[in-house]
Amino acid sequence: MLELKNCSVSFGPPSNRVDVLTDLNLTVEKNEFVAVIGFSGAGKSTLISLLAGLQEPTTGQVLLNGKEMHGPGPDRGLMFQNYSLLPWLSVNENVKLAIKTVFPKMTKSDVADKIHHYVKMVKLDHAGDKKPHELSGGMRQRASLARTLALDPEVLLLDEPLSALDALTRSELQDQILNIWENDKRTVVMITNDVDEAVLMADRIAPLTIGPGATLAKEFQVNMERPRDRRTLNDHPEFMRLKTQITLFMMGLNKNAKGKSQAPLIPMPDIRPKDFSLPSANIRLKNKSSQPTSAA
Amino acid sequence: MKFLSKIKYPILKAIDVSGLTFLSPVVRLCYGEEPRVQMKKISQWILIPICAMALFVVIWAYGSKVVKTKSGSVPGPLATLKAGDSISKFGDYEKAKEDAYEMTGEEREEALKAAQARLLEMDPIITAANEAVKTAKEKHAADLIKRTSGLNKQLATLKGTYDASEQARETALAQLSTTLTPGDQSAYESFLAKVKEHTRKTDLEKEELAKITKEIKEINDEKSDSVAEALFAQTRAAEERQFLQKQIDQLTKQNKALKIATAREKIEADSTALLTLTGPAALKAAEKIAKDESRLAKTEDSTYAGPKTLGYQVKRSILCVFTGFLIGSMIAIPIGILCGLNSTFMAAMTPFIAIFKPVSPIVWLPICLIIASAVVPAPEDSTFMNWLWEDAWILHKYDINPAFIASAITVALCSLWATLANTALGVASIDKDHINVARVLKLGFWPRLFKIVIPSALPLIFAGLRISLGVGWMVLIAAELLSSSEGIGKFVWDQFNNGASDSFAKLFVVVFVVGIIGLLLDRIMIVFQRLVSFEGSPTAI
Repeated sequence: MLELKNCSVSFGPPSNRVDVLTDLNLTVEKNEFVAVIGFSGAGKSTLISLLAGLQEPTTGQVLLNGKEMHGPGPDRGLMFQNYSLLPWLSVNENVKLAIKTVFPKMTKSDVADKIHHYVKMVKLDHAGDKKPHELSGGMRQRASLARTLALDPEVLLLDEPLSALDALTRSELQDQILNIWENDKRTVVMITNDVDEAVLMADRIAPLTIGPGATLAKEFQVNMERPRDRRTLNDHPEFMRLKTQITLFMMGLNKNAKGKSQAPLIPMPDIRPKDFSLPSANIRLKNKSSQPTSAA
Repeated sequence: MKFLSKIKYPILKAIDVSGLTFLSPVVRLCYGEEPRVQMKKISQWILIPICAMALFVVIWAYGSKVVKTKSGSVPGPLATLKAGDSISKFGDYEKAKEDAYEMTGEEREEALKAAQARLLEMDPIITAANEAVKTAKEKHAADLIKRTSGLNKQLATLKGTYDASEQARETALAQLSTTLTPGDQSAYESFLAKVKEHTRKTDLEKEELAKITKEIKEINDEKSDSVAEALFAQTRAAEERQFLQKQIDQLTKQNKALKIATAREKIEADSTALLTLTGPAALKAAEKIAKDESRLAKTEDSTYAGPKTLGYQVKRSILCVFTGFLIGSMIAIPIGILCGLNSTFMAAMTPFIAIFKPVSPIVWLPICLIIASAVVPAPEDSTFMNWLWEDAWILHKYDINPAFIASAITVALCSLWATLANTALGVASIDKDHINVARVLKLGFWPRLFKIVIPSALPLIFAGLRISLGVGWMVLIAAELLSSSEGIGKFVWDQFNNGASDSFAKLFVVVFVVGIIGLLLDRIMIVFQRLVSFEGSPTAI
């Protein structure tokens, strides 16, 4: 069980403090698949860093099975948004590095078997000896997934794993991740900005409000039977209902945020760039410049 | 056919890795890929550089004739080529002599026969060469007389006229001086003015004469190409004869095997003779045998001792630059890594780097020389140095002495900065995501260093090493020149001090030798750098 208890994260000196996340509370049950959905810039990556231990909370606690966590570790496998494969190592070697670190005493042949197992699991066994730059984006993300899975983590943290991929590759990988998770259940927290993706994959969806000072809003339970079939989803009433509900909720957040945005604290001086253009152009500009002034 | 098309991309990749990209259009053209595009690339990257080089040679050939120096005119391309040839000939001769020293049995006899036959051929060649020099000199002298005769005549007539007029003025003034009456100030003044006028005229006339004399001298000083050519041929022939004589010496009385054989025979004869002797005579004979035996042992260990050739000096220089480069890298890479990892350490190192980096090799060298000659023991005092000097694998050929070590350390001190700065930059600019990977994997310090930090910094480390090797090569020549450590720098210094007619041209040869070796070293480092680079790796500063 993974928990966030009253967590907040702030950056900067006390005089100019920016609260990125405030008052976060999240409980992820064992083997549950939770999606966190939010706009870009809301602090999603900070949230996942918090869970992974790459970011210490300013206040509050991160608990795994009731124990407070400090610092990162292989028990919470983080799959990075931009793959983060080591470019000088091949796919196999990248996976090997993970296995060797978590199981330092494993024999050579066992390591080789394990590499093969995970690389095959993500269907990359034909490209195991390729360097990351020889792979497509989808293949890189699959290699990254294999490396993360090879840690055999208790919690799998996915930081917008599919956002850099094209739509076709994206749906293919969604199916693959779901497939892997269903065969080998573990706790998953996935960050995403795609409502369809969240509804398709997750058991529960936690929306992140808009920052600064973002927090998790009321969760949506996804009561859809598994395995979920992508082909019939659009006819599924529950899917359509949740999708509409969440989309409307998120859009509402956006509107609220815009309404909240304050006028700049420092009054701007009313200055205009001096006009050095030729006289004919000058006349045209002058005619134009009268309009924005009135509009403003 | 299938094989050919299979190796196309490996070939192109190898060309790309080695940095010889100008060859890739040639390969592509051979495979018939877009001939027009390839021809355009070939003309741009192969033909144009060749044309530029040809143009350079032409400018050099004409320009060299303009500048006159004390050591003759500046050598043109042809003279440089000839000097290069004579350097390589000298190397060949020394090699042949060395071989001759070690030759035994039939091989020796055959070589001896060949050398003697060639020596006999040499006599007429030398006579002819001497004759050619004589005629060329005579012709040149006659030519000079013809060219200067007009000027000489002019000089003689002018001198006659000037002498006469000077004499006349002198007498006139002397006469005037007798008419002076003391106290007549105006008379004295006009007299003094006239004397001044007289000296001025005399000076002017002298100048005129000096001008003509100078002109004559310039003509006389002109070097004749035909004389130079004849002299060159003569020197060549004389050198060859001298070489043959020396080679024959090495094959006969200086020959190692022969010397050993005669010494053995003598010792044997003395030993049998010893058996018949008693008393003081026996002691004396026995002592002689003991002495001869120790001398024999020395001969058996000996190698040919001749002057150093440029080939040897080039090899020693390369050995020295790599020694220095290795020492420098062993210091620079660990410190660079520490600087990149730890900003406190970087802050501590910054003043040292800032102060020592701009110090010239000329300053480091004497310091290194003094320290090295104090610290490095002589071969006879230290087993390690003795091993280096006598037995070490290949190294023993290159006389590792304090001067060598001082030059190497100077190279290290001057070249390590580029590696240090680039290593520090490479380590400090690691992708943050890679650090996060290491954190998630909970790698310890050493695995993190060797699995993440160093591989990620390697492209920049190698970029630094490449700059360092280039700097080291430049510094080394100066260091060798100053420390008289056997090497290219020593060769330059020897040629500078040697007044031979072609030593100036030999310096030009060295320019190309140093340049080409420097280029090769750079290419090697580029290959290494490309091998360790990965997609998106940072580039050098």
